Amino acid sequence: MCKSLGRIGTVMTVIVLATASVATGHAAPAATATAAAMPAQTPADIARGKALFTGTCGAYCHRPSTPASAAAASDAPSLFDCDWIHGGSDAQIFHTITHGVDGTRMVAFGGAIPDEDIWRIIAYLRSASQCKVSR
Amino acid sequence: MIYRHQRTLGAVAALVLGLAPALAAPADPPAGGVADAEVKLPPPPTAWYAAKPVGTSVGPVTAAQLAKGADRTNWLAYGGDYRNFRHSPVSGITPATIKGLHVAWSAPTGTMGQFETSPVVYGGVMYITSSYNRLMALDARTGEFLWRYDVQLPGDLRLCCGPANRGVAIGGDLVFMATLDGHLIAFDRTTGNVAWNVVVANYKDGYSITAAPLIVGDLVYTGVAGGEFGAPGFIDAYDLKTGKRVWRINTVPSAGQPGVETWAGDSWKSGGAPSWTTGAYDQDTNTLFWTIGNPSPDWNGDSRAGDNLYSNSVLALDPATGKMKWHFQFTPHDVWDYDGNTQIFLVDTQFNGKPVKAIAQANRNGYFYLLDRSNGKFLLASQYVEQLTWAKGVDAKGRPVVDPAAMPQENPTARVCPSNLGGMNGAWTGAYDPATSLIYAPSIESCQEFVKGLAVHVKGIPFMGGMPNTTDANAGKSYGLLSAIDVKTGKVKWRYRDARPMMAGVAATAGGVLFTSNQLGEALAFDQATGKKLWSFRMGGGGRGQPIVYEIDGKPYVAIPSGGGTGLDGFAGAGSNLPEGGHLFVFALN
Repeated sequence: MCKSLGRIGTVMTVIVLATASVATGHAAPAATATAAAMPAQTPADIARGKALFTGTCGAYCHRPSTPASAAAASDAPSLFDCDWIHGGSDAQIFHTITHGVDGTRMVAFGGAIPDEDIWRIIAYLRSASQCKVSR
Repeated sequence: MIYRHQRTLGAVAALVLGLAPALAAPADPPAGGVADAEVKLPPPPTAWYAAKPVGTSVGPVTAAQLAKGADRTNWLAYGGDYRNFRHSPVSGITPATIKGLHVAWSAPTGTMGQFETSPVVYGGVMYITSSYNRLMALDARTGEFLWRYDVQLPGDLRLCCGPANRGVAIGGDLVFMATLDGHLIAFDRTTGNVAWNVVVANYKDGYSITAAPLIVGDLVYTGVAGGEFGAPGFIDAYDLKTGKRVWRINTVPSAGQPGVETWAGDSWKSGGAPSWTTGAYDQDTNTLFWTIGNPSPDWNGDSRAGDNLYSNSVLALDPATGKMKWHFQFTPHDVWDYDGNTQIFLVDTQFNGKPVKAIAQANRNGYFYLLDRSNGKFLLASQYVEQLTWAKGVDAKGRPVVDPAAMPQENPTARVCPSNLGGMNGAWTGAYDPATSLIYAPSIESCQEFVKGLAVHVKGIPFMGGMPNTTDANAGKSYGLLSAIDVKTGKVKWRYRDARPMMAGVAATAGGVLFTSNQLGEALAFDQATGKKLWSFRMGGGGRGQPIVYEIDGKPYVAIPSGGGTGLDGFAGAGSNLPEGGHLFVFALN
């Protein structure tokens, strides 16, 4: 889920993005009206969430849950380590996916991915999380 | 003496400096400190123009010179000549004399990312481009910087595969560079001043340009990258003198056009099929050839059922109008990212004992192809890589027989070869030696498992539909080959095996010596006839560039770029501990 190949990871890109993030002062949002709570998810929902993550989020940007691909080494954050830069509640993750993150390559997917599929992606991320401490 | 042009926007340093007051916003200078006004620095320069014109011992580059291609003293085009032979008539470097090759000079680029340039030499001036679109003119004998222009790129480029640029085109008194943010810029070859600058494509839609342009007559041609973003490809022709666009042809047909039936539903709208490499030109039939890359999304073809024309094809075009004469598709309905745009060679050879004007190509899909270039008729396909599993062969019409087990899966277990990067790849060149009828093709040997996912298309973001598991790379099993392929038979005459994937270009010479580089940071030379390794030199950086050969006052020179290092290398199993940073090495013969 990024606008360009995060793994280029040059000094130039890192500096520009870093300054942009500081300048915009992006903060983790509160839950929005459209993202009150994650609906109940079935194994089929989670499987679809995984397919969407693999096909849309994971090829060149976010790392897969297992290190099967040596190449998916972008500077986009891992979404499986429970370190949520922009807020780790379901509603906050939903907000990040739908609204994007200013000053980074994370674009707003709201409207492009149906809400129910965004919830499925979040459900998959939860199912495959690799927290080092219990949440 | 060089005149400097200073940037107004976009420089990293300027951004940081410009933001600092907003972040800190001190009302007064600190006690004992220095007032802001006293430490304000001028923005750093972005261009250094030649105060006195350079390269004036020769006149404008003529159509006749471009038609002839590389001579002893000049290397005028990415492919060496219109046939893409990348073969220099310089004969002084031979297996017997190569021990006298030594470093004459070197030049840094100052940029990170892979250094893929193919230098151009004309009138004693060498023109090179670096990653992030620096264009530099140097004295080809001494390496002295004569002029330099740093394109000011935005920070949100849409790049699939690193910040590469593979060089300039030269025609008249202009040199041309296309940019990562979708511009085509013409420069005065003698001073570096910009003659014109046009927008080819909106980079925010997923486009970029990495290839050297091509010039035929009064037109300069360029394609675009964007196949990993679902950005529909096209080929453009511009008036050389004014930058006015003369024609554009789309590489994916629209509704109502022939070929759109090869795309299910509306999938053609985000079909990719980029034109991201440099074409070739056949003077005999006045035909422009351009090769095309993968359909989008890369690894899930469910939404785009059909052959997906004109992805992974070679197109024969009228150079004046862009009208298509014929096409041939190498990998229909590709789901492995097997772009059909590795270097094509326009060879006049024999097939089944009869003369034929042919196109030869070591395709990214692992097969070597021979086509009749007068009509696109398929003549021959043969496997040139050591490992090929995605197809069981190629039928009599040139269509591959796909192994269903090699299709991407949600949880794949099949080890599929070649990798998504090849085989050979359009990011580097091969060469052809008419004396031996051999094509020299560097390639990757690294198999993968192809994972299939669901892709959502949003303009300007990657549109992949999956990813490759880098199976061999993870296991340390990846390696490289340099294969010498007989164009008459498609058989491999000799192979050199390298410990790492071979991802750098090649130049051949009339002296029978072939030059390339490898991922261990070595410049390499081989006997063209036998494959015997003759020479090596540790440049230090991974080899990703295109060597050239030229002569000044009878002395042979060989220029070889050094510097790799992008995430792309990891796909090929070529990631390494070598530091990044471009550096051109130029060797001379004693």
